[in-house]
Amino acid sequence: MTLPAFILASAAEPATGNAVDKIVKTFGLHWSLFISQLVAFLVVCFLLKKFAYGPVMEMLEQRKQRIADGEAKLVEIERQLKESEAQKDALLEKANADAKRLITEAKTSATSLAEQKAMEAVAQAQVILNKAQEAARAERAAMAAELKQEFGRLVVATTSQVTGKELTAADQQRINEEAVSSLN
Amino acid sequence: MISMNRFLLLLVAIFSATALPSVAAEGHDHLPASAEVLFELGWFKFTNSTLMMLLVSVVLIVVAQLATRKISLVPTPLQNFVEWILESLINFLSSVLGEALAKRTFWFFGTLFIMILFANWMGLIPGVGTVGFFNSGPGADPHDTFTPLLRGANADLNMTSAMAVTFALLWFYWAITETSVKDFFAHIFAPKGKFQGLMLVGMIIIFLFVGLIEVASIAFRPVALMFRLYGNVYAGENMLESIMNLVPSDFLKWLAALPFYFLELLVGLIQALVFTLLCAVFLRLICEHEHDDEHAH
Repeated sequence: MTLPAFILASAAEPATGNAVDKIVKTFGLHWSLFISQLVAFLVVCFLLKKFAYGPVMEMLEQRKQRIADGEAKLVEIERQLKESEAQKDALLEKANADAKRLITEAKTSATSLAEQKAMEAVAQAQVILNKAQEAARAERAAMAAELKQEFGRLVVATTSQVTGKELTAADQQRINEEAVSSLN
Repeated sequence: MISMNRFLLLLVAIFSATALPSVAAEGHDHLPASAEVLFELGWFKFTNSTLMMLLVSVVLIVVAQLATRKISLVPTPLQNFVEWILESLINFLSSVLGEALAKRTFWFFGTLFIMILFANWMGLIPGVGTVGFFNSGPGADPHDTFTPLLRGANADLNMTSAMAVTFALLWFYWAITETSVKDFFAHIFAPKGKFQGLMLVGMIIIFLFVGLIEVASIAFRPVALMFRLYGNVYAGENMLESIMNLVPSDFLKWLAALPFYFLELLVGLIQALVFTLLCAVFLRLICEHEHDDEHAH
């Protein structure tokens, strides 16, 4: 029994005695019932399409799009984060290198400065020492000269008292020179 | 705990309503194979399965409307449930038909599955087939004096044939629009493969004969679909009624049938799947030819 035969049989009055008619009668197939069920089914199809499938599919599509956008943004954010981390690492590395270089330079300049200062100090000390030595020498020379003059005066005075005579200026000069020359 | 006890009491009370089959059984000596007419308006007949079909339709449309009335990206539980059903269905159909064809035909296959499933399950609600009225008077059939108000919508061959015939017509339309008239007939009658000379003549004759068998197969498909669904649902209702009638106590009849209700829930789902899947596969088979050719090019 094929579909066309079945439809034809259900549309006909089930009064004849063939097998299809018997089946149609047994199962209560009737064209008006068939059409009413068909119409009801199609109406449900239409209403579900309008109220359920359309809005829900659109919403699912929107949500899918939103999730896809979110995923794309996440990938972009991860990429940017990696870039930022790489930049941060590069900056840190550069800063470290700069800091090391600066420290090395500072150390170098500090050493040279210390050496320079030490040398300057040594030079200054040497100058001071020289000046002190020179001053000491000058002072000694002055003292020696003064001592010689005093010694001369003492020799002249002693000579005058020992001899008991008044010495002339020329005698005093000569005795004084002889005494001083005897010291050298 | 109190709410659990109340729930159990309610369950017993609901299933006790199925004690009514004893009344129904007294009203008829067997479950009628066809839906029973509630009233007639001229040529128009209104049966208990038509009423059930209307109830199922109303429930589905109301649920759809409630779920999508304030549709939003953050779904309500009902919207989430409806979305889950529809998304699972479209994914399932896409795996059979391919995404484009599944989207194009979803209005039909989606409704087909949901309609069959809910019609089957609502047919199991206590009261369906058991609440009705007794016929009396001179025209009443002495073997069938009880007419239930509701009958499982798919336990009526008019309903299953309406769906099968709709599919058969849509199958032609989709097959031709997805391929072409030439490809449609070539798919049925043309020799598959490359032949030359006498071999080609022989193959044309053989494939012409194969095509005729295919035409017969196509013509039988809707009939097989409608009887398969009807037979399973009608048999299930018949079995439930028979099992209940085995128990003498009116108020314990539901207990004997209880395990079979779970079986029928499963059968309802499987039959909805089988009907929808077969329709989808039939459509896929006729549309496959053109797609394969496209891939081959």
